[in-house]
Amino acid sequence: MRIMRYIGKRMIFIGPQLLGIILVSFFLVKLIPGDPAVMMLGPMASESTLEELRADMGLNLSVPQQFLIYIENLVLHGDLGRSWQTTRPVTEDLFLRMPATLELITLGLILGLLIGVPLGVGAAYLKRGILAKFSDYYGLLAGALPDFWLALVLIFFFYTILGWVPPPLGRLDFFTIPPPTITGALLIDSLLDGNWQALSSAAGHLILPVLTLGLISGGPILKMTQSTMDRMLESDYSRYEEMCGLPKAIIIRHALRNSLPSVVTIVSVLYGFLIGGAVLVEIVFSWGGAGQYAVQGVLNADINPVLGFVFFSAVLSLIIYLIVDLIYFAIDPRVRG
Amino acid sequence: MVENSEAGTILNIEKLNVSYPIYEADPVHALRGLDLKISKGEIIGLVGESGSGKTTLARSIMQLISQPGRVDSGRIEYDGQDLATLNEKELRTLRGNDIAMVIPNPRTELNPLVTVGMQIANVARYHLSLPRKEAKAMALAMLEAVQIPDPLRRFKAYPHELSGGMAQRVVMAIALICSPRFIISDDATSGLDVTVQTQVLELLQDLVQQQGASMLFITRDIGITAHYCHKVAIIFAGEIVELAETKNFFNNPQHPYSVMLLSAFSHNPKLRGMWSKAAEAPPEGASGEGCYFAPRCVRASDKCWAEHPLLRTSGEAHGVRCHHPVER
Repeated sequence: MRIMRYIGKRMIFIGPQLLGIILVSFFLVKLIPGDPAVMMLGPMASESTLEELRADMGLNLSVPQQFLIYIENLVLHGDLGRSWQTTRPVTEDLFLRMPATLELITLGLILGLLIGVPLGVGAAYLKRGILAKFSDYYGLLAGALPDFWLALVLIFFFYTILGWVPPPLGRLDFFTIPPPTITGALLIDSLLDGNWQALSSAAGHLILPVLTLGLISGGPILKMTQSTMDRMLESDYSRYEEMCGLPKAIIIRHALRNSLPSVVTIVSVLYGFLIGGAVLVEIVFSWGGAGQYAVQGVLNADINPVLGFVFFSAVLSLIIYLIVDLIYFAIDPRVRG
Repeated sequence: MVENSEAGTILNIEKLNVSYPIYEADPVHALRGLDLKISKGEIIGLVGESGSGKTTLARSIMQLISQPGRVDSGRIEYDGQDLATLNEKELRTLRGNDIAMVIPNPRTELNPLVTVGMQIANVARYHLSLPRKEAKAMALAMLEAVQIPDPLRRFKAYPHELSGGMAQRVVMAIALICSPRFIISDDATSGLDVTVQTQVLELLQDLVQQQGASMLFITRDIGITAHYCHKVAIIFAGEIVELAETKNFFNNPQHPYSVMLLSAFSHNPKLRGMWSKAAEAPPEGASGEGCYFAPRCVRASDKCWAEHPLLRTSGEAHGVRCHHPVER
């Protein structure tokens, strides 16, 4: 019951939060130099046609007026405008592309967790062991290596030399018939469709980008797990459990449970960051994700995709932080009280 | 007053030296040649100020000295067994099972994310190899034994939902659930107010004696030992300076430090002033081998600065480490 009230309270704030985010990003994007009319019609267009197009797009209005129109369209019609590059509504584009990004970074972070948490726990428990040393170097490398470079190295090894994975061109093979879009995540859609060919093709294409993101995000997850576990294993209650002669496995399990909130926090931060931050990996693998879409928009003075992307990521981030709070709720009785 | 029923030594500490190395400085010697013998069924009170080595002693017995402390020399024999020779697994079966610890500040030392019932049950489950359900039943019975009101509800409570007194009872339940033969109570009731303290101490004493266990009762409050202990040991700067039966000790305290501790309770400021004194620097030429208490002792002589006193035992097994013991 307390949880419902808490969620309700959070919901009330979502509207103002989103409005603030859109306000700031709208004016920031408007600051970027570049005239969409010139971009669309090319350098040879006459001044009168340019003027006509500007009026058509509402660019001759003042920025606050443009903002009000934008908000009105968004709130009343759920309309985020059109991209002049794809000539399609931004919402449609993003509903197609966002799932591609989310599928990628969700799997990447799961892999990051699978790498980071066990290594972090091991390194915290066996401080002088070889595992701790390995974790140290790994954490350092993961922090230092650029993700796109790692992606290129992985492609070189596993595609060019070994030929184990499909070419890094998009999410499916050329000749594979994609499953009907239900969730947008190809793994799930092809499963629902029972399309095994598409499933194996999608999985094959996911291997390298997921491996890239997993290896890179495993670093911060490892560091966070290790430092928190270190603290928890030194804490009063771990020492007390030691004094009570409880088995190591129990002491570690309890310490890990006490460390989970920090791990959840770092994962949520990474998640929010990767929605846009995975763009270089998306480009390397021609993924066609949301980050790529937004960057194209910025480069071509195509404002609506950029704002649409900001709006989508903001909504997703708010959902993620809400989930994180609910996880805290579940883990820690003191938060509930 | 309680009577000592059984003979035979359960814990024998000989010349124990424990130090904490300090980076680029001389190590701190927490225990300096400490000797202590505890008989079966005996409750012995260990009194000393903070920093005198009480907790280090408790941790040494558990073989869990905080990092980076280490045992330099000496031995601890439990039931005829040198604890230093046991491996980690053997120690684990001893801790919490045969030697149990009642801790101070239970609310920070209990795991905040686990219900107190499960924390009690876990100890029984792993030491007595009980199935989950039986361990839980036993934990519930133990909560009743430590007289927690409404034990069924408290079983499901988290540590932060308990009062200090209740948390203290939970810790006692954890310590006593495996019927240990030796219990260390480390300043266990220091955080409680006096009325709750009395209840908890009486309960602890009852349960310990019911189980026929021995107890090392560490405290800063010398008054408590008069009521709950067979013997009193005074620790100062890592060594025992006086050791006697409780009755003898309170009738005839012999070490100036013991007298100082007792006079601290006096309402007579003149008496307090007579025995307490700010520490002074050693006199020129002092060898540094003298009595550790000399700088603060009102009776210190040249001999005290030069020669370290031995623990001398006079009539009725009353030991005192002083060149000039107080006489009545």
